[in-house]
Amino acid sequence: MNTFSRNVLSAAVGAVVLVLGGVAHAADTVKIAVAGPITGPVAQYGDMQMSGAKMAVEQINAKGGVNGKMLEAVLIDDVCEPKQAVAVANQIVNDKIKYVVGHLCSGSTQPASKLYEEEGILMITPAATNPAITQQGYRMVFRTIGTDDQQGPTAGRYIATQIKPKKLAILHDKQQYGEGIAKEVDKTVKAAGIQPVLFEGISKGQTDFSALITKMKKDEVDFVYYGGYHPELGLLLRQSREQGFDTKYMGPEGVGNKDISAIAGPASEGLLVTLPADFSTDPANANLVKAFKDKGQDPTGPFVMPSYSAVRIIADAIQGAKTEDPVKLAEYIHKNSFQTPIGNVAFKDNGDLKEFEFVIFEWHADATKTPVK
Amino acid sequence: MSGSSLLEFIQQAINGLTLGSIYALIAIGYTMVYGIIGMINFAHGEIYMIGAYVGLLVITVLGLFGVDSISLILLATLAVSILVTGSYGWTVERLAYRPLRGSPRLVPLISAIGVSIFLQNYVQLGQGARDVSMQPVLTGGWRFGPEDGFQVYLSYMQVLIAAVTVVSMTVLTLFISRSRMGRACRACSQDRAMANLLGIDTDRVIALTFVLGAALAAVAGVLVSMYYGLVNPFIGFIAGLKAFTAAVLGGIGSIPGAMLGGVVLGLAESFASAYLRTEYKDVVAFALLIGVLLVRPSGLLGRPDVEKV
Repeated sequence: MNTFSRNVLSAAVGAVVLVLGGVAHAADTVKIAVAGPITGPVAQYGDMQMSGAKMAVEQINAKGGVNGKMLEAVLIDDVCEPKQAVAVANQIVNDKIKYVVGHLCSGSTQPASKLYEEEGILMITPAATNPAITQQGYRMVFRTIGTDDQQGPTAGRYIATQIKPKKLAILHDKQQYGEGIAKEVDKTVKAAGIQPVLFEGISKGQTDFSALITKMKKDEVDFVYYGGYHPELGLLLRQSREQGFDTKYMGPEGVGNKDISAIAGPASEGLLVTLPADFSTDPANANLVKAFKDKGQDPTGPFVMPSYSAVRIIADAIQGAKTEDPVKLAEYIHKNSFQTPIGNVAFKDNGDLKEFEFVIFEWHADATKTPVK
Repeated sequence: MSGSSLLEFIQQAINGLTLGSIYALIAIGYTMVYGIIGMINFAHGEIYMIGAYVGLLVITVLGLFGVDSISLILLATLAVSILVTGSYGWTVERLAYRPLRGSPRLVPLISAIGVSIFLQNYVQLGQGARDVSMQPVLTGGWRFGPEDGFQVYLSYMQVLIAAVTVVSMTVLTLFISRSRMGRACRACSQDRAMANLLGIDTDRVIALTFVLGAALAAVAGVLVSMYYGLVNPFIGFIAGLKAFTAAVLGGIGSIPGAMLGGVVLGLAESFASAYLRTEYKDVVAFALLIGVLLVRPSGLLGRPDVEKV
């Protein structure tokens, strides 16, 4: 080996060492993966999740981080696709990230949660509401949002006691979230003695609902519950009004965002939506709300505060338990309660919140909402 | 059949025909390309999606300038969309299929799937992956039936869709049957090698086929933007699949077949949704396809393919 190539070699080794040094330095942060839809039809909800989590990370870092280390939010896109979610989960495992705030859609959270449980990664979902996610006997899985077996009955009871429809139709999008919640509503109204005249599933991505609307119009349906997300409901509302089918609709928090008004326009006026209580109106959160508004972000979205709280809980647990071992943190979270923007929260054995309330809102054509009760 | 059931039946037929018109317009693109080069252009659904995006964009821009005459909006939007989408059709053929002419059948098929994925991601990067929505330009319609009972509703938009479809189809049929280029198209579809020997520039004919198919997909895209007012980069997949089914149902390679297939498919979906359950609409549509292919393997209006030696 001549001198020249030896020099080149040593330079290369030096460069590698430098790079490694850089990596080691970066690893000094506590990484939290925020996994949800950054692209795709329901990316609006991902925005809420990301903005909540990023705000929490920023504020915690501004106060010196946790145990002297800075937090780092790693945003990962799962497009709300179950298949993609598993790939994302694998990536998180491979990147040795120990905490996950996410996923967002129930359909993608469920398969990903299995990996996190097996790999000992702490997962807190701020948005997935399907009950099955916490019925798997997992210890590493939590959520800072209610479940469909709370939300469904809230909607169902409201329909049975306040609306009292003669002919109720229940529709869903055949996805884990939408169908799950539609079944809960179905169960609740049946228990109250109302037999829905129609319980049917449409397809995700469907654009033409005219045949279904004609059928409901013919059957003189006088109230419709829809389990699913806003793109389909927006078109359903618009085409209903167009055909002269003026029945009131109701949906879960998956339909409650500005885009429903962008799609349905005036037809979104009067839509009923079950949403988590609007935490941004809580006086205790005034400073936080201001911080969001200063950045031009909207703190009223249903997943913003739960997402903020999820990061908060992870940080508080690391501080309180004085460890970064996710398995020990999970035990700590199970045993303690945490002060967060969604209230003072504690968890049940299965990882669900001990208390969580859904409120019924009436939606308006200008994308604002007012509480009904 | 009581009065109101009859009215419901009529309403469902209207719903089905509207949906079927859109399928038919897209199906033409599949069937023409197949008829001439014997290849399924799987990127055609994406071409339609681009047509819908351009349509939405033009309508929005016209709205900004305060244009509110429906006929002007429709004509301008169709013109721009056909132009842009047609050039996409031409470019796709030039770049992804022409270099593969003469290679085994599977090769352009894979290339088509590649183009489809490329276009989907290209629009996603350029326009964002979110739904883009727009309020309807044309609202209102006619109502028929008893004041207090079930009324049939026929919207202006549905009439417009049917009318534009019929006009496009007529123009296409006249073009194919009367014009010089149309005759060249038919010659190519019968025997491409022979047509070439007789002095027809087959590459030009094939390029024209792609442009025509894309133009009709653009018409469908514009109508869909106006009717549903919601587009995203993924709408091409389902629409393409349905239109492809319509083309096969009617007899792939046959233009009247694609029209008939589209309408039959639209009606089947509509009636399945009405008289069975909404979940079954695709089941019925595809069961119909299988049923027809079992009895008539070349589709409703397709001619049996004679293997040439």
